[in-house]
Amino acid sequence: MFKNYLTIAWRNLKRNKIYAFINIAGLSIGLACAMLILLYVKDEVSFDRFHNNVGNIYRIVSKNKYNGQEYKSTNTGFLQGSRFTQNVPGIKTFVRVQSGAEDIKTGTDVQSQDLLYVDSSFFNVFTFPLIAGNPQTCLKEPRSIVISEDMAKKQFGTTDAVGKVIMIKEDSAFQPYKVTAVARRSPQNSSIRFEALLPFKESADDARNNDNWYNFFLNTFVVLQPSANLNTVNTEIQKFYVRDAGQTFKEMTEKYGGGGTMGEYFLQPYIDIHMNPELGAQNGMVNGSNPTYAYILSGIALFVLLIACINFINLTVARSVKRAKEIGIRKVVGGERKQLILQFLGESFLLCTISFLMAIWLVILVLPLFNNLANKALAISYLLDAKLVGGYIILYLLTGILAGFYPALVLSGYKPVDTLYSRFNIKGKNYLQKSLVVLQFTLASFLIIATFTIYTQFNYLTTEDLGYDDSNLVILHKDRLKHTDAALFKNELLKNSNILGVSAKNGGQWGTAARNAIDTTIQFAYETVDEHYIPLLKIPLLQGRNFSKDFPADSTQSVIVNESFVKKAGWKTPIGQTVNFWYNNNETYTVIGVVKDYHFASLNQKIGPQLFTMKNDNMYGDYYVKIKPGSATASLKWLRSKFKEFYPLSPYTYKFKDDDNKRAYDDVAKWKQIMLFSAFLTIFISCIGLFGLSVLSAEKRTKEIGIRKVLGASVNNVAAILSKDFLKLVAIALIVAVPAAYMAGDKWLQNYPYRITQSWWLFAGAALLVIMIALITVSFQAIKAAMANPVKSLRTE
Amino acid sequence: MIKISDLEKVYRTEEVETVALNKLSFEVKDGEFVAVMGPSGCGKSTLLNILGLLDDPDAGSFLFNQIEVAHFNERKRADLRKHNIGFVFQSFNLIDELTVFENVELPLIYTGVKTAERKKRVEEVLDKVQIMHRRNHYPQQLSGGQQQRVAVARAVVNHPKLILADEPTGNLDSNNGNEVMQLLTELNEQGTTIVMVTHSEHDARYSHRIIRMLDGQTVTENILI
Repeated sequence: MFKNYLTIAWRNLKRNKIYAFINIAGLSIGLACAMLILLYVKDEVSFDRFHNNVGNIYRIVSKNKYNGQEYKSTNTGFLQGSRFTQNVPGIKTFVRVQSGAEDIKTGTDVQSQDLLYVDSSFFNVFTFPLIAGNPQTCLKEPRSIVISEDMAKKQFGTTDAVGKVIMIKEDSAFQPYKVTAVARRSPQNSSIRFEALLPFKESADDARNNDNWYNFFLNTFVVLQPSANLNTVNTEIQKFYVRDAGQTFKEMTEKYGGGGTMGEYFLQPYIDIHMNPELGAQNGMVNGSNPTYAYILSGIALFVLLIACINFINLTVARSVKRAKEIGIRKVVGGERKQLILQFLGESFLLCTISFLMAIWLVILVLPLFNNLANKALAISYLLDAKLVGGYIILYLLTGILAGFYPALVLSGYKPVDTLYSRFNIKGKNYLQKSLVVLQFTLASFLIIATFTIYTQFNYLTTEDLGYDDSNLVILHKDRLKHTDAALFKNELLKNSNILGVSAKNGGQWGTAARNAIDTTIQFAYETVDEHYIPLLKIPLLQGRNFSKDFPADSTQSVIVNESFVKKAGWKTPIGQTVNFWYNNNETYTVIGVVKDYHFASLNQKIGPQLFTMKNDNMYGDYYVKIKPGSATASLKWLRSKFKEFYPLSPYTYKFKDDDNKRAYDDVAKWKQIMLFSAFLTIFISCIGLFGLSVLSAEKRTKEIGIRKVLGASVNNVAAILSKDFLKLVAIALIVAVPAAYMAGDKWLQNYPYRITQSWWLFAGAALLVIMIALITVSFQAIKAAMANPVKSLRTE
Repeated sequence: MIKISDLEKVYRTEEVETVALNKLSFEVKDGEFVAVMGPSGCGKSTLLNILGLLDDPDAGSFLFNQIEVAHFNERKRADLRKHNIGFVFQSFNLIDELTVFENVELPLIYTGVKTAERKKRVEEVLDKVQIMHRRNHYPQQLSGGQQQRVAVARAVVNHPKLILADEPTGNLDSNNGNEVMQLLTELNEQGTTIVMVTHSEHDARYSHRIIRMLDGQTVTENILI
């Protein structure tokens, strides 16, 4: 019996190639998407679980209220780890982890190397296998270094590197550090990944100084005794903290002011970190994820699979007119309904099996692309995991049943009397088929509109006028740069005619707070620049004047602020007003100029208050070099040679400001691609399904078309009649999809302080696109049917 | 074998009500060959479908081997059908995707006959209808007469007690038609009861008795032997 089912299923597939193609293409794409998402989710939930005692590892985190709003923090100071471990029962040990970078010299080349500073207990807490070296002692000596196998190969050409020496810059000289261990490459599903570990530097003074309770800059992890109760430990931690740091907190509040409370410490499970957007992976921890991504990706995969299943259901039921005779015959010769259900389920499983195999092939094919989009490093070998294979089998069975069960039920229910006398036709208005088509096109239209929205917003973010000129601007990084040193280098650079201007600025983004004359506290971006910075970047000056060497006070007393600062301070006439750095011995500065608000940060952030100073004791960290357009290659060569000449001990790195600005939108760019792919897949699968339905519909209406043509209908006429029904469904889908997409888009755009408005043409454009695609799909078959010779179709009836 | 009394069947669509059978009664004895005749729309096919347990009557009684089957459910009817009744249709009704052999084999599969036994019986019956040489062909590759011989083979492969034939020669030329009628006669001579609906007086003459119908009722019965 089974062989008979298989035979007829196989012959049916071969005979109806379009139908087979539509189903297999759709289902394999749908299954491949779902398989990739399972892979993704499995990777997400397995993150960090490879550490031996991962269940007992926690991170010390805190929450605090400031002006009524709750803030959570993942960072701690020097003291939390050691003091809690010594004083709170249940904590076995602790390790502090801080990210950093050191300049490493190889031959004459100096490179900046990202690394982690950790306590010597690092390998007691975390399970990172070593190729060589002793995990207990490798981080005990001050000038020891643990490196990864990759770094060992890079530095020494071999992993046999224990005992060898790496030169690391301390202040202005390179010192030898001894390699004490070589570690295996950190697993890709680890929040802590390192190329090099250095022992944590903490002086005895640091360990004694109670102020260090409030100097937050590192991650502290603790290991609890297996018997410890988390709630008890949390309570004890807080009790000890209040007792130990209470006095210091009081003194700090008196000194610096502020509306904060002492806050509350608690332990966060280590395995909770990876997917926690609030208390996430940072400061030496990487690849933090947001569960929202997993939800959105899973949602899209389910959409695609669902659309493919709908194709299967619709086409099978629609095609059943053709198979009705077979069903009748089988019943007449003794087939029972149960057997027929099994037969049709068997057919759907055959299709599903073929699609499943295709899907595995597709997954292997697109895995690199998926890794890129999902920010993962998943390997094909991951597919062989037992749980995952189990998941795939469940997915396969579910798809087979989801797609096959309804058609099997419908088809097996046909009465032989109806089907054997060629008077059979599907009765009723086919509401199910129509609703399923509407559902498909609603999902597809939704994703297309969403893609349009993301594209428009991305385009806006990357092309919007920033309020200054970021073109042809090269940034050279140089740590701890004194103002006098900078002047020499700037003059040297300007000797080349490709160099149009040079300015210096502090590295990175600084922020601080100060007060105006009536004690309003203003938080602002704090920029230390030279007198060339504002003109070089063409930042418009609205009032007052730029810094100038002609006014000696500019290097000590003067500041320039932006419009937002003025607004926040509530000044009517900003020039001449004073800014008071109250926590820094009440230093007071005078405003000499106001610049127009410009996007000094990315468009993901609202422009906030900003203050420029030329203060001598603030060091610079970056050179801003304006080069002649089109001179990049020559200019970069010049910059490099001069940099090497001036700073032979520093790593040379450069970036273009406009590239750097665009990098802020990498995330959007990625989602833009993901949405584009999913929109493409859903509309593609929906359309092949629609095409299949139009073929079947045209076949079903052959006689009607013949009669219409005999009575004088034109080809256009007939094609219009055939296409109209389907287009109606697409129109309904659009009516549902447009408001849903509008609301979703609006919600997403709320994340951006600077955003597009979703104008009508965005929806009209998407709608037009969907209608055009659907029209092409159905009219292809409609025209073919309309052009057929009516004599032929009527005679066969 | 068959006894129907006061059988009624009415077809309803939204606006029209068509009476197909109107208090129809007659009897068919074991081993009889009965022809049912009448103009189009007189209820012949409806009658055959009810006799074949493909359709159920709205009222009346239908005794099959002394058992009342008029209100059997689908499963019971299928069970009775597959063991006792074979069908031959005007339009052959072979499954296009199956070969001659597979088409004939189908009823045996549904009655759970083992593979080796199936092969033997299918070959036997294909031999009997002289289509053995075409066993691996598909229906579309055969002539109408050959297709109907396959259909007859399929109808008898399970050794049914009753064969219901619905205009078995309607789509055939006279040579092929005669061959099929010859086959049915032989089966009848071996003991199979046959009820045949036909338009053809020529075919009807192969039977023992002709029941003539009009508007869902019998009008006359002619006994030929």
